[in-house]
Amino acid sequence: MSADQTAGQHGPHGGRAATESAGGGAGQVGPGSPGVGPTPVAPPAGQHDRRGSGRITFTGWMMAPGVALLGLLSLIPLVMLIMMSFSRVRLLGGLQLEFVGLENWARAFGDVELWKSWGLTLGYFAATLGLELMLGIAIAVVLNRLTRGRGLLLPLILLPMFVAPSIVGLLGRYLLDPTFGLYAQALQGLGVEQDVLGNPVSAFVAVTLMDVWEWTPLIALITLAGLSGVNPSVLEAASIDGADEWKKFWNIVLPSIKPILLVAILIRSMDAVRYFDIISVTTNGGPADATKIVPVRLYEAAFRFFDLGYAAVIGIMMLVLTIMIARLFVGLLSEKETH
Amino acid sequence: MDHQLSTPTRRQLLRFGGAGLAAAALGGLTACGQTGTAPVPPPSPGGDPWRRFAGTTINFISENTAPTAAIAANLQPFRDLTGIDINIVTLDLQALVQRVALDLAGGQSQYDVVYADPYQVLAPYAAGFADLREFAADESYPPLEGGFEDFIPTQLQATGMFGASDAIYALPYDCPTMIWQYRLDIFEKYGDQMEADLGFDPTPSGDRTWEEYFRIAEWINENVDEIPYGTGHQAKQHDALMCDFSNVLWSYGGEYFADGERIGLRGTDEPGKCLLDSAEAIEAAEFYRRLVSIAHPGSLGWDWDGVGNAMAAGEIAMAPNWHEFAATYEAALPGLVGYAPLPRGSVGTANHFGGTGIGISAMSSGARRGAAWLFVNWATSPATQLSNLKSSAGGGTPTRQSVYAMPEVQAATTRPSEMPNMLTEDAVSIAWEEGRIGLRPKIPMWNECDTALFTELSRMLAGQKTARDAMEDATSRIDGIVARGWVA
Repeated sequence: MSADQTAGQHGPHGGRAATESAGGGAGQVGPGSPGVGPTPVAPPAGQHDRRGSGRITFTGWMMAPGVALLGLLSLIPLVMLIMMSFSRVRLLGGLQLEFVGLENWARAFGDVELWKSWGLTLGYFAATLGLELMLGIAIAVVLNRLTRGRGLLLPLILLPMFVAPSIVGLLGRYLLDPTFGLYAQALQGLGVEQDVLGNPVSAFVAVTLMDVWEWTPLIALITLAGLSGVNPSVLEAASIDGADEWKKFWNIVLPSIKPILLVAILIRSMDAVRYFDIISVTTNGGPADATKIVPVRLYEAAFRFFDLGYAAVIGIMMLVLTIMIARLFVGLLSEKETH
Repeated sequence: MDHQLSTPTRRQLLRFGGAGLAAAALGGLTACGQTGTAPVPPPSPGGDPWRRFAGTTINFISENTAPTAAIAANLQPFRDLTGIDINIVTLDLQALVQRVALDLAGGQSQYDVVYADPYQVLAPYAAGFADLREFAADESYPPLEGGFEDFIPTQLQATGMFGASDAIYALPYDCPTMIWQYRLDIFEKYGDQMEADLGFDPTPSGDRTWEEYFRIAEWINENVDEIPYGTGHQAKQHDALMCDFSNVLWSYGGEYFADGERIGLRGTDEPGKCLLDSAEAIEAAEFYRRLVSIAHPGSLGWDWDGVGNAMAAGEIAMAPNWHEFAATYEAALPGLVGYAPLPRGSVGTANHFGGTGIGISAMSSGARRGAAWLFVNWATSPATQLSNLKSSAGGGTPTRQSVYAMPEVQAATTRPSEMPNMLTEDAVSIAWEEGRIGLRPKIPMWNECDTALFTELSRMLAGQKTARDAMEDATSRIDGIVARGWVA
């Protein structure tokens, strides 16, 4: 029996499912099955799952233009990216792809410099996310307790995240410039003659801190929103039971804001994988490749060397990592919600 | 039933969608840039050849350099002469290379006139440029004043030609060259004391050696209070590091590739094996490491602008840098900076030349193509080069021999001078002599080779590698890049 015949036999049921979905409200349509009516009751054993027939419903057709546009905007580049990763790309006289099989992939997997960049990326990822999380939560907790001056402090604290990352990089570069930089002069006053951006370790620390300075306010803001949802009566009950501040924070506040923290971590971690602007403006990957994380290497391969096939492989690697991170956090979130 | 058969399933839709997307992607790729060039419209009989394309608008993309700043500030004479309007886009070199490559790939020629850096634009995309001999030989255009011969011959070859072909893809537009820049006041005040302590005349000149330069810098570090450091270098992990190191490399007898002079002057697709692991190159790297170790600590984070700022701010007493910084110094430290050719190494001397030409995109067509040539002709003409020298907005230095011969230009080579860049004339004229001019390899894959070298040098300067390891690793990486070849 062909798939079409099967589909035909189940036609009436499929039609009813479509009607149910259309009438049942969009709220029931899951994100993973756009426009397809959910089956509330599992089919009896031996029968086909109606979702398997997958007829496009009225809702599906209504969503089709949007989905098609999304496809144009994201799927065509993805398909091109995959094609380019198996090709050598010629630019002159129009783009041309010359199929080279797995050459670019083999090069990427055997490229020691690229793996060093992955190591740096993970180090940077852990450092920025860890610091931003700790500082963001601390700032949010302090702000949450403030009864006076919060309205004044909050905008000041949030200010860095409204600055474009490249401007943050420029600010950092100028402040650390050994000829006229304010921070550099302060450090020279303390006896530190070394150029901060000229030393591998201090340059890595500096670009990490620039990112932390810019994005800690975002974590603080999201956490602050979460803190306002913590039930005060539970905290009062804990106080009456003799719990100290740390215990209340660790056992009540933190579990309460965990879902919203996961959202914040998800947003920042996906950004951290793509970190580029500040490094590009300050160190451009140096010194001694100490800040050449993968996005910088990708940019270099694509737009300095025009080795677009190889760059496509790095791009796909980054995409896979981002998807993995997103799935991990979305999974944790779903788990939490189910719980 | 019919109705159901005509309704596609999700799987079918995805399958169709996937195939459609792949086809669209392929179609998009192959369709991209498949355009032809329209012929240049013929001139009207008896018309002014300069006004032949009046009413046309063209685009010029340039690095944000001094000559372009001067031209952008003084476009009215060109508009009045030709009736052509020109939009100038200025970017840093890295962004320019990207834009040009993508423009050539798009095939639409958004940019008619292109600042063709010989190493990052001309060598990789020579086929994307028009042969300017075609325009110069066409009598319907105004003549190229002085012909190609008026341009300094080494500069014409280095900036305008590529490979074995005699085609001229660009006309020399600027000519920055690395020379020794030093604080006159410090050398005047401490010259005798230095000479007594060091045992040689410290006056900067092409007769000094790099080892003497090192000792002078060290002496200033230890004995001069007015200025914190004796020397500063552009040793950031950047193209600038390669430029700075190359002066030392060549003067110690090191080469990037065999037949380096030809590869620097004319360029090639196949440079052969890299020679940076030679004993001479390793000796040069070791000296460079020692030199930077006594330089201003900021050197590790400076490119050429960083060195220029440090010199102007009185942080360093001397540095090798591009001669076009003279205008900045004369504004910040009037009369206090002197210029000389770079020191010698154990084998000879070399002054890195970083000049660039301007060319016309091969895809530029119709009236825009002709208008682009009129602009290239005008922008590199003796009158415009003289005007650039006097400009307060920018400057640059001439690339034509006839301009250097002008009495007012000659008069400007000594202070007081209204053309500060001409104060370097004595130094650069020696630096451009055969055997003294330093030309990096003009190969299409230079950008990647350059990155491999300056990354390894940066590792050496950070103390992560010895000079030998750095040079051997750079050689191995460059050999790998060259072996992969270049597709444009």
